Amino acid sequence: MTAEIGQAAIALSVLSALWAIGFLCAGLRLRSAKAVQSGRNAVVATFFLTCISTGALIYGFVTDDFSLRYVVEVSSAAQPLLYKIAALWGAMSGSLLLWLWLLTLAGAIVVWQHRNYTTDNLADYALVPIVVVQLFFIILVTGIPDGIYNPLAKLPGGQVAADGQGMNPLLQTPLMAFHPPTLYIGWIGMTVPFGFAMGALASGRIGSDWLFRSRRWMLFSWIILTIGITLGGNWAYRELGWGGYWAWDPVENASFMPWLLGTAYLHSVMIQEKRSMLKLWNLLLITLAFQFTLLGTFITRSGVISSVHSFAQSNVGWYFLGFIFATTAAAIGMMVYRRKRLKSANHLESLLSRESAFVLNNWLLVGLTLIILWGTLWPILSEAINGEKASVPEAFFNRVVIIPGLLLLFLTGAGPIISWKKLTPNNFRRMFVSPISIGVIAGALTWGFLAWRGNPMPIYSVLCSFAAVFVLAAISSEFYRGAKLRAKRQEASFFAGLTHLVMRNKRRYGGYIIHIGIVILYIGIMGSKGYFLLESEGLKLGDSMQVGTFNLTMKDWFQERHANYARAGVVFDIEKNGRPVGEMKPARHYYEKTGQGETDTIESAIQHFGANDLYIALGDLPPNIDNGGIVNVQVYHNPLINVVWVGVAVMVLGGIVAIAEKHQHESLSKREE
Amino acid sequence: MKRKRVKIVAASALLLTAMAFLVIAGIQSTSVRHFTPAGLVAAAQSLNNQRVQVDGLILAGSSEWDAANFELTFAVRDRAGSESVNVLYANRLKPDNFVDGGSVFVEGRYDASQNLIVATKLMTKCASKYEEADSTTTESVTERGKK
Repeated sequence: MTAEIGQAAIALSVLSALWAIGFLCAGLRLRSAKAVQSGRNAVVATFFLTCISTGALIYGFVTDDFSLRYVVEVSSAAQPLLYKIAALWGAMSGSLLLWLWLLTLAGAIVVWQHRNYTTDNLADYALVPIVVVQLFFIILVTGIPDGIYNPLAKLPGGQVAADGQGMNPLLQTPLMAFHPPTLYIGWIGMTVPFGFAMGALASGRIGSDWLFRSRRWMLFSWIILTIGITLGGNWAYRELGWGGYWAWDPVENASFMPWLLGTAYLHSVMIQEKRSMLKLWNLLLITLAFQFTLLGTFITRSGVISSVHSFAQSNVGWYFLGFIFATTAAAIGMMVYRRKRLKSANHLESLLSRESAFVLNNWLLVGLTLIILWGTLWPILSEAINGEKASVPEAFFNRVVIIPGLLLLFLTGAGPIISWKKLTPNNFRRMFVSPISIGVIAGALTWGFLAWRGNPMPIYSVLCSFAAVFVLAAISSEFYRGAKLRAKRQEASFFAGLTHLVMRNKRRYGGYIIHIGIVILYIGIMGSKGYFLLESEGLKLGDSMQVGTFNLTMKDWFQERHANYARAGVVFDIEKNGRPVGEMKPARHYYEKTGQGETDTIESAIQHFGANDLYIALGDLPPNIDNGGIVNVQVYHNPLINVVWVGVAVMVLGGIVAIAEKHQHESLSKREE
Repeated sequence: MKRKRVKIVAASALLLTAMAFLVIAGIQSTSVRHFTPAGLVAAAQSLNNQRVQVDGLILAGSSEWDAANFELTFAVRDRAGSESVNVLYANRLKPDNFVDGGSVFVEGRYDASQNLIVATKLMTKCASKYEEADSTTTESVTERGKK
C-alpha cells in the first residue's frame, strides 16, 4: 500500500512542478503577487510529495518489501539496517529519486530563505530554472522514459520474492554509504547558483545581487563535494585493495570536474564583487559547473566509454545529454539576449595584479577541467578523430596535470599577497621577497634530501616543495601581519588579535585556511603518488618479506563468521628496522547474498606509522594453507598518505569558517526597498 | 590601453597554446589503441611491442593461476569470433569475478611472436545488475606497479 501511495506522490509531483513553473512565470509576467505565492507554495508541495515517495521507498527497504523490484535488486533481509537505508542509492532508480528529493529540498529552502521577500522577486525568477531541473528528474523517476523503471514499481505479475539479491558487498561500508549522497548534495547545491544566474538574466538584474544570494550555496556545495570526493578516495583506498586513492577513473573524474569549476567560480565572483568585471564569465562558469554535475551521469551511464568502467548501461545517460544540450542552449540564448548588460565596468590593468592572478587561476582551473574531460572522453574522441578506438591511462592525467597543478599551487600563495590593479616594486619587496627566499631554500633542501636518498628525477618534488613553502610563508605572513595590527590596536594579546582578525573577515581568512589545506594536500599527494613502494609475493605460513625498512612474517591464519559474510585472513608480525611494531591482519570477506555481484572483497590491513601507511592486500586463502599452501600478498608502503586526509580536513575547516560569514545581501536588499 | 590589451591577449593565447600542447603531447605519448581479439590478431605484426587494450571474454578452461610465482595466465576470446589472445598478468592479485566466460578488459604490451599481452591492467566485468559498483574494483594500479 505504501508503494502505491509513493507512486501516486510521484505522479502528483509532475503536476505540482508544472504548477510551480506555470504560476511563477505567469505571476512574474503579470506582476501578480498571488500567482507568485501560489508558485512558491507549489515548490514546497513538490518537496512534500517527494518526501512521501522517498519515505515510501525507505519504508519498503526497512520492512523488507520484496514485492518491489528495486528492493529485491539492492537489498536483502539479512542486510544491516544502515545498508538497507543506504540501498536507497544502491542503484540507478533509487539514486535518481534521492537526487530528486534533495533537489526539491533545495527548492524548498530557497523559498524559505526568501519567505519575507515580497517586493524583491529575484528568487522567484531563480526558482523557475530550479523547478525545470526538478521536473526533468521527476519525469525520469516516473519510469515512463524507456530504459528506466520507477523505484517504487512492483515485480511483474504481482510476484513477491523470497529474499532480495543484496547490495554489492563493496558498498557495504559506512564510508560508501555516505559517499554517493554527499556527491549528490554537492552537485545539487550547484543547481541553485545556476538557477540564480538564469534568474538574474531573465529578470535583467545582472548586478552582484545574484552572486550574493548564491555564493554560500556554492561554498556549501564546494565543502560537501570536497568531503564527498575524499570519502570516495578513502573508500577506494580501504576497500579496493590497490593501495591508492585516486586513479583518474571516469567516475572519479566526473566528481572532480564540477569541483574544479566550482573552485574557479568561488574565485571569479570575488572579481565581480570587487571590480565589477567578469560578469559574462561568471555566468558561463556557473552554467558550465552545473552542466558538469549532469555530465558525470552521462559519462557513467551512457555506455559510450563502457570499456573502462562497469556501470550498467541505459538510455538515462542520453536523456542527461539531451537535457544538458537543451539547458546550455537556453542559458546561452539568455546571455546573448542580455549581452548589452554584461559589459565589464573595468578592465585588467596589468598582467601582474591580483585581478590577473584571479583570471590566471580561473584559466588554469577551467583548463584543467577541459584537459581531464578530454582524457575522459578520449575513447569517443579518438574514434571521431582517428577513426580508431583508444583511451589514455592514468599516466596521461598524472603527466598532464602536474604543471598546471604546480602553477595553481604557486598562485594559492601569490594571489593573496599580490596588490590589486598593478604589482608595484614596493609590494614585491614587502610581500614577495622573503616567502620566495624561504621557498627556494626549502626547494634546495628537498633536492639535496632526494639526491642523498638516491631518488631519481626529483624536479617536480623540488618545485612542489618550493611552491608549498612559499605559500605557507606568504599566507602565514598575512595572518601574522593582520593579527599583530589588531592586537596592537586593541591592546590585546597576539592570539586575541588573531581570533578577532579571523572572526571579522571569516570569508577571507577562511579562504586562506583552505589555501593552507591545499598546500598540505599537495605535500601528501607528492609523497604518496611519487614515492610509494610495492612488493608482491607468494608466501607460505612462516615466510617473511621485506618492504622498505619493514619486515613482515606471516605467522598464522584465521576464519570468522559474521551476520551476512565470512571473514578469512592471515596474521603478520611486523618489524621496523628489526624492532617489532605489532601485528596486521589483512583478510577477505565472502558475502553470501550477492546475486551475480562480487562474492568476496579484499579487506586490506592498514597500519599508520606517523604520516606513512603500511598496507597489505590479500589474495584468496588456499585450502591447503596449513600444508605449505601459498597466499598471495601485495604490500604497499605509502609515504605521507595521511597528510592527504589532514589537508582535506583543513580545507573543510577553512570552508566552514568562510561560510559562516553572513550574507551581505540582506542589508543590500533592504537598501533597495 | 591598447598595448595592455594586446599583452593580455598574447598572454592568454600563450597559456592556451601551452595547455593544448600539454594535452596533445600527453595523448600522443600515452594513448593506447583499443582492439577486439580478432582485430588484434589480424593486425598482429604491425602492433608488435606496442601497448594495446583488448576487450573480450575469458576463454573457458584457459586460465591458470600460479600462486608461487604470482602469475595469472589466460586467453581472451573474441566476442563474435573464435580468435583469441594470450595474456600474462604477473605480480598482482587475481581480480574478483575472474570466471570462465566472463567479460574482461586487458591493457598491456603486445608480443606478436607469441600472440601474448603482458598485462599491466586487468578489469573484469560481471553481468551484474549492480550499477553502482565502481569500476576500480578489480583494476589494479596501472602505473604504480614499479617494483
